[in-house]
Amino acid sequence: MSATRLDVRAYACPMTYVRTRIALERLRVGEALEVWLAAGEPLESVPRNAVEEGHRVLSCEPLPAEGAGSWRVVIEKGNPPPEPL
Amino acid sequence: MALSESQIGRYARQLLLPGLGEAGQERLGAARVRVVGAGPLAGPALLYLAQAGMGRLWVDDAAMVSPEDLSAWLYGPGDVGRPRSAAAAEALRTANGLVEAEPFRAGNLPTAVLVASGAQSTDRVAAEEARLLGLPHVVAEADGEGGAVTVIPAGSPCYKCAFRTGHGAIPTPAATAAVGALAALELVLLVADVSQEPRGRRIDLVRGQPMARPTVRLPGCTCGAGANEGIP
Repeated sequence: MSATRLDVRAYACPMTYVRTRIALERLRVGEALEVWLAAGEPLESVPRNAVEEGHRVLSCEPLPAEGAGSWRVVIEKGNPPPEPL
Repeated sequence: MALSESQIGRYARQLLLPGLGEAGQERLGAARVRVVGAGPLAGPALLYLAQAGMGRLWVDDAAMVSPEDLSAWLYGPGDVGRPRSAAAAEALRTANGLVEAEPFRAGNLPTAVLVASGAQSTDRVAAEEARLLGLPHVVAEADGEGGAVTVIPAGSPCYKCAFRTGHGAIPTPAATAAVGALAALELVLLVADVSQEPRGRRIDLVRGQPMARPTVRLPGCTCGAGANEGIP
């Protein structure tokens, strides 16, 4: 399955999830987003926030070719969409 | 149209709100909002609307800035004697350079209205104008230690139907700011189309405790085609 790729390693929280959320919003339900992020808080918060908003984390693995501390998380856009306020 | 990099950065924390996202932010950016009033009640509301990224704000207030208006969050001592509308618009552009803010002029065509003049007669006229134009609008009234915010989506019971006589007490500065900000929040939810309550409603703020209830169309009111329309 091909996935849209998003690299948020240059960003700090909450921008890591803001950009992930916008990228997910632009996908159709069932499509996948591959997020490259840094270890630490982004790796903890981005998958957690995605699951809390109804998406599914398909995989989470290190990316040694991209340097130490780089991770790849694949998120499938969920259905139904997040609840309104 | 997707948000720009500067918009994503500017509205990052708002974009995280459940249900808002890029689509809601774009709806805010496309809005043209007339704000009736630029005094202490409307001041916090205007600032919040600018910070939230309402695309265009038109400030409608014919008064001049007076020394007591310095509590309106918008003005500095150097603004005393200037038209409120011009001074407020300038403050809003300074607060957020991504929004347009200008004094309201005849012929401007808003998509939503916030009424916060602080004068009941002005509020009634402005709310009725908005209703006749079919525009969603929110009316803020401060009263003593609280006040009321009436949310009127297009087609819902009008401000006259929702109106309740208050105590008529001079509002405290904190209550004034709280009611103004609450009204701005309700307008943001309305314009972004993320409110959980699609019906018209009135929120009474009494000593810090909000009580919200759907508004009901008064029998015979000209705002509705049939009696009791709007009853849940």
